[in-house]
Amino acid sequence: MRATHVVALARRSTMAIARQPALVGPSIVFPLFFAALSNSSFSRATALPGFPKVASFLQFGLAGTITQGVLFGSVTGAAALATDIQDGFFDRLLASPTSRTGILFGRLAGGALFGAVQAAVFVAVLWPFGAEVRAGLAGFAVLVLAGLLTAYAVGALMSSVALRTGSAEAVQGAFPLLFILLFLSSAFFPRETMSGVYRTIADWNPISHMVEGQRALTVTGWSASAAARALLVPAGLGVLGTALALATLRRRLAAS
Amino acid sequence: MSTSGRVVLGAVTDAPAEHGTLRSARGLALRGIRNVRRLPSAFFPALAMPIFNMIAFSGTFYAVTRLPGFPTDRSINWYMPLGILMGSAFGGVGLGFSTIRDLESGFYDRLRMAPTSRTSLILGPLMSTWVRVLIMNLLVTALGVALGVRYTAGVWGVLALLAASLGLATVAAGWGLALAYRFRDMRGAAIMQLSVFVVMFLSTAQVPLDVMQGWLHAVARVNPATNILRLARGGLVDRADPDHLSWATAWGGLVALAVMAALTLGFAARSLQRLDD
Repeated sequence: MRATHVVALARRSTMAIARQPALVGPSIVFPLFFAALSNSSFSRATALPGFPKVASFLQFGLAGTITQGVLFGSVTGAAALATDIQDGFFDRLLASPTSRTGILFGRLAGGALFGAVQAAVFVAVLWPFGAEVRAGLAGFAVLVLAGLLTAYAVGALMSSVALRTGSAEAVQGAFPLLFILLFLSSAFFPRETMSGVYRTIADWNPISHMVEGQRALTVTGWSASAAARALLVPAGLGVLGTALALATLRRRLAAS
Repeated sequence: MSTSGRVVLGAVTDAPAEHGTLRSARGLALRGIRNVRRLPSAFFPALAMPIFNMIAFSGTFYAVTRLPGFPTDRSINWYMPLGILMGSAFGGVGLGFSTIRDLESGFYDRLRMAPTSRTSLILGPLMSTWVRVLIMNLLVTALGVALGVRYTAGVWGVLALLAASLGLATVAAGWGLALAYRFRDMRGAAIMQLSVFVVMFLSTAQVPLDVMQGWLHAVARVNPATNILRLARGGLVDRADPDHLSWATAWGGLVALAVMAALTLGFAARSLQRLDD
């Protein structure tokens, strides 16, 4: 894999995101809308047993907002990869002397960068309204990095769908699975307030642990274990997603 | 042209004048209902979404029922009507999506050329939407009851939820059709979904008025969707709650549905007329 190829393709995918604000705008606006909505709806719920001590529901919900937004946004990159396959651009890349894996990593880099930008925007917009990050600048850096890693991981997982099916619709169709995974976690409410099967699923859901790491940095302050949870969970998912995407890419190349 | 297309056009063109509107409407309704069997992939999301809404919201926000003043101690009693109403609203605007497909494929032009009243072009698809929404109601309610939903106003509670659901589907179908006629392409679909989503969530969708604070309280208080949700939930909140089903709590929702349905269906009829001009 040649770095220059990855950089050139990453630049292309980043420019594609920047040039289509209508495509990526909802993944910034919607999570902010839901953050505002939840703050008004559930602010009294912060007094319930099981809720951490927070300055506002917005502060509690910041980590969930970042994760929700990044999940929404990261599907765009994978759908763009599927569109490249559909309109023949992918085949033209294969015909050129371009690194095969570079095609995949170049596409994922654009999505990952957008994930970092989303995290930074969510913190910047919500902080003045009460979503203070108690871990300070270091905590902010971890949240942005977690956004980048999450976008990369989800982009890689979704890219395997794009490479397998070559259909942007199939990628969009797989998106509700992410949404279900997000809801069956502690992204919106603490696990301590859940019960029964729902609580058990949230306990096992890796998104719960990732969000709780980010949340601890926001509501409690700096701790190495919180930072590790916020970063290692998406990093692990990223490794898994990369292996899956590379295996699917190899199968597609062998078939073509 | 598909068999159902030929059947529909046959129903439209063979209709005697005195019963033309109803016969044509029935032909179009049957076409929509047949598509449930022929294209289950199109119907599945309309069924999956309310089920997911009901389970996800009642599981995630289970603890909010412990807040003082919450009208029920069963989260599923509170969130099942939300799931059903969201499913009804999206089922209604789904009619707009299928109309856009018919407009793009040219099938709608053939319908418009047929010698039938314009009313049947709205009434027929609307009837098929009612059937789809009714199926969704039955399945989601059965699952809800299996998961712990308990009606507190007996059969009147079931009827109130059904009335709210069918009424909202009518409102959303009118809105979806109007936008489909105006835009004639999938640009209209995004506006349909977004508007339904925003109107529904800027209400008591998640928590009752007494629990919410800040700007949302002010918006939800005047949002007609709040009245519709009150009607839908009337038979599921505690008997002692002021919002428990009674004429006093139901009329607001019924009026909201009647006015909104008249407005959106009127808008759809005018937009269809503009399409002809």
